[in-house]
Parts: sequence; structure tokens; C-alpha cells
Amino acid sequence: MSVTELPRTDPVRTEAPAAPPRTPRKRPSTDDNPMRILITRPRDRVIIYALLGLMGIVFAFPLYAAVKKSFDGAGLGNYVTLFTQPIGDVSLPMTYVNSFVLGALHALIVVSVSVLAGYALSQLHFRGREILFAAILLFLAVPGTALIIPIFHITNEMGLFNNFLGVALPEAALTIPFGVLLMRNYGSNISESLIEAATLDGAGHFRVFWHVFLPLAKPAIANLVVLCFIWSLQDFLWPSMLFSDPHMATAAQAVSSFSNVLGRTTEEFGRYNASLVLLAVPAVLFVVFGLRFIVNGLTSGSTKD
Amino acid sequence: MSEQVTTPRRRRSRSDAKTAVLFLIPLLVVYAVYYVYSIVFLAQTSTERVGIALLRPIQVGFTNFINLFQDDVFLRSILNNLVFAAASIGASLTVAFFISVALSAGVKMRKLFYLLFLLPALTPLALVATIFGSMLQEQYGAVNETLRAVGLGGLAQAWLTSPVWAYTAVILIFCYLIGLPIMYYTADLAALPTSALEAALIDGAGTFRIMGSIVYPMMRSTHITVILSLLLGSFRALEQVLFSTHGGPGTTTQIVGTYLYGYVNSGGKTIGYAAAASIVVLLIALAISIVQMVITRKASR
Repeated sequence: MSVTELPRTDPVRTEAPAAPPRTPRKRPSTDDNPMRILITRPRDRVIIYALLGLMGIVFAFPLYAAVKKSFDGAGLGNYVTLFTQPIGDVSLPMTYVNSFVLGALHALIVVSVSVLAGYALSQLHFRGREILFAAILLFLAVPGTALIIPIFHITNEMGLFNNFLGVALPEAALTIPFGVLLMRNYGSNISESLIEAATLDGAGHFRVFWHVFLPLAKPAIANLVVLCFIWSLQDFLWPSMLFSDPHMATAAQAVSSFSNVLGRTTEEFGRYNASLVLLAVPAVLFVVFGLRFIVNGLTSGSTKD
Repeated sequence: MSEQVTTPRRRRSRSDAKTAVLFLIPLLVVYAVYYVYSIVFLAQTSTERVGIALLRPIQVGFTNFINLFQDDVFLRSILNNLVFAAASIGASLTVAFFISVALSAGVKMRKLFYLLFLLPALTPLALVATIFGSMLQEQYGAVNETLRAVGLGGLAQAWLTSPVWAYTAVILIFCYLIGLPIMYYTADLAALPTSALEAALIDGAGTFRIMGSIVYPMMRSTHITVILSLLLGSFRALEQVLFSTHGGPGTTTQIVGTYLYGYVNSGGKTIGYAAAASIVVLLIALAISIVQMVITRKASR
């Protein structure tokens, strides 16, 4: 029982490098899965499918309801006008661009800080390393809402209101503990002999980092990048606190501005739902195409030590 | 791993400390500004009576904290957080566990199901909560329309203005967002030793017997991971409530996240008080985090 924590990284890590963008449809992903032997009786199979189907319907209902509602009133026209005219001052296509810019900045900061720290915490030997790592991880727990007041103040002092960096920085600060956990876990699994061989060849740590560690860490970095984009797309708190310019509104932030503008007549309600469906599109695309990275990143991150 | 710190089997180990500092500088800068400075700032502000402009603070000692613990809304928020966390934990230990085992057992359309169950937790929660809210809307909401369509119009309600139903709605939202537990379970199921399962199969136990009395207890450490991460997650929650019930009706569904968010956004005259509330929330979160670390450390021994 005590070992179940450790091997968690293994299935994750071995899968990560073998993640070509297009996997054949019939990939035998469950063949190496012990649970496969679980369903033996046909009756059990029927019950399992019935329960899964039922839960699937329940889970899909909100999505179905939103899509159905989105055609109320002007039908497909609801969608067309959302692209052609701004809602309030917010242009819907622009929220996609803004979310993307924010996600890219967020990912850039998190990856650079975490990879460097991950190298130090997994490959370098110094006193107090484990305590430092534990102290860094402690901040995984910090709820963003508890830091609104100081971060509002810090952003003001730095003059970063209505600036993408002003939002990307607090987002990154809250993601970095996770990023470090991910990179350090990954780094600890890199065979030491590889790094050691490079060091004995006379390469300094910066060269080893750049030419050995970084290329080896690519799968973990990919996971982290996708997660950063997802979290930026999800983040409502920081844009809503630190952006007041409607031209900078992100997709998550637009949810609240749209609900203020689009009233409550049947027609507007349909248009409002259409806007919600469209705002979900970037996140859904990211999840559909990046699910493997997201799952690998989140589950390997959950393994501490 | 940690033993290597005390046994310097590498010749260069003495110089590592200096190099390590260089590699850690960006991290230390971010932590110094966004965590250390933030927390010092909060601690200082929490003993003052001051507005958001931070002009002319008056020292009030621990008054803010004393008032906070007599503030029914704050205490109710903490209680609600625990209730909503308990609901999502309940849903995870049952529904998420079942979904994960079923999907791992080689069902067809596995990827589609997986996507369907994970998607809500990975899209903007503001959207998920808004859609829940709009489904429950009295006049045009999908729930009431469906009820009317099937001739149960008498059951149609003003869901979000009734305390009981609003509370139930938030609980359902929390139960809906169980993507992370499903991922944790699925990852750990893949690493499960098969021998115990095979033995049970030879004994002729059915799928559900094996699920309940063999697999379930074997996943003990995953259950703990799930419980603690959901408990922590509830203290990070904001949009789930803000976009569905706005904490209402009244303050019925208020959670810590909406409490703090609301305080700062409502003019911010009493920032010292909100800072004290932030400190309390931080301490709770850090306490849970420490428990989590101790347990994980023990489990990996």
C-alpha cells in the first residue's frame, strides 16, 4: 500500500514522450490496463454501460441546454451578430485574442521560472534542498482570493493595470508552485548518469541545463504549457480585478460583461446563450486536442516526492 | 533522493550551492514579491482601519480579527465551504470512482466519455456556473421549460430565489466539477497490481463486488489525495458561486471566495477588515496543505 504514491509518475512519464499529435484511432490504450479483466459477465457489462450512459446524459445536459437555448429568437443569427457587432464595448473575437496573449505570457513566465528551479531542485546538491522544496510547495495551497488586496496594491505600484503582464504575473505566481513540483518530479526521474556524464565531460551546469536537461524535459514542458493556457482561459479573478479596459477583456471575463449587457427578453436570452457557447469554444478546443497533456500534467503533479 | 544531500559523492558538490542560487533567482524574486511581500502587507493592513487608497491608517490592533469571528456572514462562508467541499468529496468517492473504474475496464467510446466527464472542470468555471444559473432561471430556464413540456409545470420554481434550492444548486455545481478526481483515480488504477483482481475473479466475484470490496480499499491513498485536494479546492472556489447564485439569496450560499471578492469590490472602505479575513483564509489553506504534506510523506515511506 505504501508504494502506491511513488509509481504514479511512471505510467505518466513513459506515456508522455510517446505523444504524437495524431494517434491512430484504435490505439490499444487499455491493453496494458489491469482493470480490463474486470468485466466478465455480460450482465455486469450492461449495467456498467447503462450507468455510464445515464451519467453521460446528466453531464451533457447543461451543454445541451445552452446550445438549444442559443438558437432562441434569431436562430443562427444569434451567432452571426455576436461576431459582427460588439456586445457593450466588448468584441467577442477580441476576447479570444486577449485570452491567447494572456495564456502565452502566463506560460512563458511559468515555464522559464519552473524549469530553472526544477533543475536546481532535482540535479544540484546543496544543503536544505528538501526543506526549500517543501517550503515552495506549501504555496500550492494559496487561494487567489486571499491575495486580492496585496496584488491590487502591487499592480498599482508597478503601474501594470490594464497591462497583460499585470495579470500574467499574479497568475504565474499562483501557478509556479505547481510548475516547480512538475519539473522537479520530472527532473528526479531523469537518469542521473546522463547528467553526470555531461558534467564529467567538463560541461558547466548552464551547458548541461541547456543541452541535456532542457531537451529531456520537453514532454513535461509541453504539459505545463497546455495547463497554463487552460488556467489562463479559466481565470476570471485577475482579469476582473486588474483589467478595466473593455478592449482587453478575456473570454472568462466577458461572461460577466455579457450577462450585464444582454437583457432578459427571450430574444436576448438566446443571444446571451449563444455568447456563452462561443466563449467556451477556445477552452473546449484546448481540452479536446490537449487532453493528453492536461491529464499527464495534472496527475504527475499530484505526486509529491 | 534526500540522502544524497548528506553524502557528497560528487566532487563538485561544494560549488553546487552557488549555482543553485543562480537557477533559483527568478523563483525567489516571484516568491518575494507575490508571497512574502503580499503576506507581510496583509498582516500589517489587518491591524489597521483603512480604505483601499491606504490613506491615514488607524492602528486598531486585533479588533478586525475579533470582529471577524463575530461576523455571521464570514463564519457561514467557512461553514458553506466545508459543506460544499463535503458534497464534492462525496460525489468523488462514489460517482468519480465508479466512472474511473468503468472507463478503465475497457468500455467502448472510452475517450468520448472521458472527455465528457472532464470537460466541465477544464472550461472556464464562470461559464459552467452561468449556464447552471441560466438553466435554473425562472421564466426561460431550461429546467422549468423541460418541466412544463413534460406536463410537470406545477413543479417549476423560482429556483435561485429559494434558499433551499439555491443551496442545492451550488452543491450540484460542486458535484459536477469532479474532473480532477477522475484523473487521479484513472492514473492510479493504471498502476494497480493485477494479482488481487485475478484472485478475486477465480473466486467468481462479480464486477461490482470486486469494485467495492477489492479495488475501493486498494485506492486508499488516492481517496486521501482526492479528499485533501477537494478540501483545498473549495477555498480557492469563486466563480462556482459568484456566477450562479451570487452568494444569495441574501448570504445563504456565500463562500470564502465570494466573501473576500465581494468585500474588495464593494467600495473597499474597510480594507483592513478584508485583510484580516484574507489572513484567516490563508492560515486555513496552509494548515490543510501541511496536513496533506505530512500524510503524503508518510504514505511514500
